[in-house]
Amino acid sequence: MFQAGVHEYREIYWTPGYQPRDTDVLAAFRLIPQPEVAPEEAAAAVAAESSTATWTTVWTDRLTTLERYQARAYDIEPVPGRPDQYLAYVAYPLELFEEGSVTSMMASITGNVFGFKAIRALRLEDLRIPVALVKTFQGPPTGIQVERDRLNKYGRPLLGATLKPKLGLSPRNYGRACFELLRGGLDFTKDDENITSQPFMRWGDRYQFVMEAVHKAEQETGERKGHYLNVTAPDCEQMLERAEFARQLGSPIVMHDYLVGGFSAHTTLSRWCRRNGMLLHVHRALHAVVDRQKDHGIHFRVLAKWLRLAGGDHLHTGTVVGKLEGDRASTLGVVDLLREDFVPADRSRGIYFDQEWASLPTVLPAASGGIHVWHIPALVEIFGDDAVLQFGGGSAGHPQGSRAGATANRVALEACVQARNEGRDLTAEGPQVLKQAASRSPELAAALDTWRDIRFDFEAVDTLDVM
Amino acid sequence: MRLETFSYLPKLSEAQLAQQIRSILERHLVVGIEYSSKPDPYDHYWTMWKLPLFDTDDPATVLTELDSCRQENPDAYIKINGYDPVRQGQVVSFVASQPQRST
Repeated sequence: MFQAGVHEYREIYWTPGYQPRDTDVLAAFRLIPQPEVAPEEAAAAVAAESSTATWTTVWTDRLTTLERYQARAYDIEPVPGRPDQYLAYVAYPLELFEEGSVTSMMASITGNVFGFKAIRALRLEDLRIPVALVKTFQGPPTGIQVERDRLNKYGRPLLGATLKPKLGLSPRNYGRACFELLRGGLDFTKDDENITSQPFMRWGDRYQFVMEAVHKAEQETGERKGHYLNVTAPDCEQMLERAEFARQLGSPIVMHDYLVGGFSAHTTLSRWCRRNGMLLHVHRALHAVVDRQKDHGIHFRVLAKWLRLAGGDHLHTGTVVGKLEGDRASTLGVVDLLREDFVPADRSRGIYFDQEWASLPTVLPAASGGIHVWHIPALVEIFGDDAVLQFGGGSAGHPQGSRAGATANRVALEACVQARNEGRDLTAEGPQVLKQAASRSPELAAALDTWRDIRFDFEAVDTLDVM
Repeated sequence: MRLETFSYLPKLSEAQLAQQIRSILERHLVVGIEYSSKPDPYDHYWTMWKLPLFDTDDPATVLTELDSCRQENPDAYIKINGYDPVRQGQVVSFVASQPQRST
């Protein structure tokens, strides 16, 4: 017998005390219900609308066993200091998701439900991806260890720089800017996220000049170098065409704007990179549209987890100290999610669930945006060795030009690593370490002079709640 | 020419070298020594100087081996590596000795 009509969601989808299974996908949502909606009903609505339900019962419900496929809201807690907000926990059965597809997870968990009228605002704070699902992904094409082995770079963070001005250079001048930075001591240079193939610099021309610069810098320094050639393109065919040309020119690395390009395109590129022995640098342009506001959207830690699944060897994470948003504890939580094999739940870092990665390769966090030599001691403390530190303005803005700027950063970095290994405390002694190193490096001395007292002291918008 | 980590700093003194080696040992990494007369960034396999020093916990032992390697191969660039058996990868590597580098 089919009973037509509308029921409250909580009759079926609110199951307090449900013990999540090891194979469930678990989600923590920050939820603001409409004033007249009870929090349990709102949480149940999220579970329902992101799994099996629609607004009314339908006769075809009787053709299946909904208990097998339904998501369950199984816990709810108030957010301290925010009387209108709740944290709602939802468990999704594994069967709801396609193997190896971040796109499938996004369409389910962050689909229609975010526009649901009964909810004023909704934010996906964290997602526990069960090992059973993790094992259907291959993740990063290369991983941190193989990248280091391939490039012969050990025991220190890698150094990069985004070429500036970000738009408007001709291909030959762009290659020059690249050469100077690599020759001066950086490991990588980088296209900016919005460099694709504009009329002033078509991609094929850029790739050729840039790769000449990379090869020449390698010959002159005796070190491996690379430039993140952005292959973000209007369609997947052109994306792969660009990646293929980069490979033919001998580039060790390509780059993609994963959120702008979308997860399907990104996964295609990631698989191509694995097949072709290519590193993949990933820029997160668009992320702040989705992740910056506390009340609505998707937290970056979820976007970062999805990237590790879909695959990328570097991912921009924020710097803590530079010009871009990034709460310290929260950023460090994300860094762990990229680099560790197991990350325990820790609410003080915004991590709601234990996450096991089951040996999935690791991702190097890229710290980029408004950082300069004075930040290096803190960056080495915060990130340790396994990171790429990117100094765009902080290299090319040097009074003697890019090459000297690059050398200044390299000297500062190596001095900090040396001091750290000697047991010195970089938080306390950082400035002293830099000044000592500058006494033997005119490039560093000039850089320290130029950027003395440049800070970006604004409060983060996306802060963690005290739980 | 540059040779990766620490190649932009003044040459490490023996005391500074010992401190770097100590930090490798304190992290429970396995120290290894490798050398080559023609360093090439695309060459992943320099010649091993003996086997990795699996059971060494004294920087002085490593320095003695480094010196023996230098005596036998005066024209060689010599690396000190730190290998992490848990991560199953090399995590430290720097050139500790090179021909005629005075500064």
